[in-house]
Amino acid sequence: MMQRHTQPAVLPVEHIDFVKPHIFDVTEEVRLLWMKDVPNDTVRLDLFFDAGIVRGNKSIPAIVHSLLFSGTAIKSSVEIHESIDTLGGFLDTDLSFETAVVSIYCLRENLDKIALLVGDAINGLAFRESEVEDTLRSMGQKFHENQQKVRNVGQQQFRKLLFESHEDYSTLAEAADFDEVNYQSMKRYFKDHYLNGLTRITLVGNVEQDSVDALIDLFGKWAMDHKPTFGKSFETTHKKTHFPVEGAVQTAIRMGKMMFPKNHPDYIGFQFLNTILGDYFGSRLMSNIREDKGYTYGIGSVMMELHNDGYLVIVTEVGKDVTEATLAEIKLELKRLQEEPVSSEELELVRNYMLGQLLKSADGPYAMLDMYNSVDMYGIDLGFYDRAIAEIRAMQPERLQELAKTYLNWEDFLIVTAG
Amino acid sequence: MIAFNRFKLDNGLTVIHHLDPTTPIAVVNVLYDVGARDESENRTGFAHLFEHLMFGGSVNIPDFDAPLQFAGGESNAFTSNDITNYYDTLPVQNIETALWLESDRMLSLAFTPKSLEVQRNVVIEEFKQRYLNQPYGDVWLELRPLAYREHPYKWATIGKEIRHIEEAEMEDVKAFFKAHYHPANAILCIAGNISLEKTTELVNKWFGDIPASLKPDRMLPREPQQTEYREKTIERAVPNDAFYYAFKMPERRSFEYYVADIISDALGREKSSRLYGKLKKELKLVTSINAYISGSMDEGLLVIEGKLSNGVTFEQMETALWETLGELNANPLSDEEAARLLIKIRTAKEFQEQGLLNRAMNLCIYELLGDANGVNEENALYQSVTAKQIQELGKTMLRKENCSVLRVKAIQA
Repeated sequence: MMQRHTQPAVLPVEHIDFVKPHIFDVTEEVRLLWMKDVPNDTVRLDLFFDAGIVRGNKSIPAIVHSLLFSGTAIKSSVEIHESIDTLGGFLDTDLSFETAVVSIYCLRENLDKIALLVGDAINGLAFRESEVEDTLRSMGQKFHENQQKVRNVGQQQFRKLLFESHEDYSTLAEAADFDEVNYQSMKRYFKDHYLNGLTRITLVGNVEQDSVDALIDLFGKWAMDHKPTFGKSFETTHKKTHFPVEGAVQTAIRMGKMMFPKNHPDYIGFQFLNTILGDYFGSRLMSNIREDKGYTYGIGSVMMELHNDGYLVIVTEVGKDVTEATLAEIKLELKRLQEEPVSSEELELVRNYMLGQLLKSADGPYAMLDMYNSVDMYGIDLGFYDRAIAEIRAMQPERLQELAKTYLNWEDFLIVTAG
Repeated sequence: MIAFNRFKLDNGLTVIHHLDPTTPIAVVNVLYDVGARDESENRTGFAHLFEHLMFGGSVNIPDFDAPLQFAGGESNAFTSNDITNYYDTLPVQNIETALWLESDRMLSLAFTPKSLEVQRNVVIEEFKQRYLNQPYGDVWLELRPLAYREHPYKWATIGKEIRHIEEAEMEDVKAFFKAHYHPANAILCIAGNISLEKTTELVNKWFGDIPASLKPDRMLPREPQQTEYREKTIERAVPNDAFYYAFKMPERRSFEYYVADIISDALGREKSSRLYGKLKKELKLVTSINAYISGSMDEGLLVIEGKLSNGVTFEQMETALWETLGELNANPLSDEEAARLLIKIRTAKEFQEQGLLNRAMNLCIYELLGDANGVNEENALYQSVTAKQIQELGKTMLRKENCSVLRVKAIQA
């Protein structure tokens, strides 16, 4: 007889292989990380620059980032893209708070040539007037479009208020940023943060050592000659602020608080607590606010990492009429974590879930490199994950409750609503 | 090359097994041959609402997600106009939990009134979040009925209107389940470091006793051949004028589908594409422009969409757009341009096939198309397309009589 009521036996994740990439010194400060064991022809090359959003006033970091492949004295942007496309290369660029990344995806037979094209394009960036105008036009339109999205307004204003004590971290884009632009400040920014701003190179791909050496030669000249510094000791005075968005049928909620950097002793323990709160599909926030009340399509809480700090943010879009009801439920969930011990059933579920996710995050060379990078960026070694496994295995309800009492006090949260 | 085994249970369930000894993670993917095109016109949005209900507990198991999370895994799903696809990833040693869960919800759902009530609300919020609460969000709700007159592609997966979701009754839900959720209407893929023997044993154990039903006949109204240029302009409080040109294109199972896909790449996939180079870079008429295909099973759409630069009129842009399309139809692609498009397709495919989940999904989709091995033949089909075939299809496809245009005129709120 089939036992359809009973779950088949579950075996815990016993062991996870964490693989360290090969590491090469480009300069004293800058390194290349290489994951070589890839069972197919794919390659990913990432160039990291000290050119994040916080590095320049208003929209300068975003504008320069968008212009990286906009043409040299000899080649137009279309010609550059044509030559890279002809080799089957895909370019991707990402601009985050503290870092800018340029990524190349290609087949290994084409890596050397594409790397040269990328090198030439960035080295020779000429800020051609027509290209700059074209980019500003597109960015300006996108800016206005984003101003109509509650999620975007909420996110921007949340950031501005959370980091208000630090000008570089709280500056926001304005419509006027895209009307006219100062070529000189753009060129200076480009020189400081790209041509002298490379902070690391990562490579995944089964390529030859010669290719790696060539990458070091080619991009090493952009290496930053000193360690970048990042903001810390952020303070906010705001509590709850609403930003109206005309015509919105939903309200975006962004609420959060400053936490700590990744090397903090409570980091892993808090990740456990945060998973319970809002970082997986079965979390307290999802179960209550989506699956029980149906107020939203999704709600989550995430730990965001900075070099010297970190912050927690709860993110959702809810029906306009249930904004206050949603906040009341969030408050209730924070309080429950402080006052009631987590049941052993939930504890075991989250324990297994987190170990399963960790196993998945280390699966394959691409995932493993990202995993390595996400600790190494902050000067932490792979031992972090072994400690994480040990802490996840040992977690007890009392510790979670203590963490909740320390870090999840409703009064400490900045609450931004937009809609 | 993706190696696989395939077998069928007596109750009609098709099973695909894909061995990958290099990963500790397993994937269980279940594709149901039902999508928004199978809905009736006064009950739209149902296939998608149903996808949500599939997580609300099954006949013997009150909650779908918790046991899977307890086994270290997670799950999600998506609905399109053609299919509904569910997938679970978890440590391979616990794969039986996923089979237990998937088989029980194939057997029967719990059908609790609470689940229906809550998921109705969740889907309504999803409707607002994706389609109503952002600029240009409702474009597909307008474009589909313009391009399709008869075929159910005329409504979006989310549904024609919120009212249909609000009015969904438990009886409708049960009838939908009975018609579409049973072994003969599903394709199951088990992927990971698990042997064929073990797969056969476990699949038989959990799915073998699910009663068989007949695969429903799909008798969709045929979309009549379009013979006129269709235009519609809507006014919205958006920041900029936007345009959407939708051309009817060949169905998924035809060879011309691949040809059309290449045409869309030539027109507007990359920054080296024709429309991007001409309309954006050279003439500066638009701030963005893209071309892509809907990828649907029945007669689909090739769409060109973009936004006008400030001060440019729809007419100015339109003249340049048709000129560019005319050039593609008048002259065959150069060898160089063709090679550029094809190497991008090959490279993208290599990356796609890296992920175990992608491989499992694609095997199921190709099995639905007729043969899972199609996944291994796809690239060769693309590479075999000739400049002449592109030109010929372009001539029949990129015509005004085959096109539906939606313009979004920006007005002050």
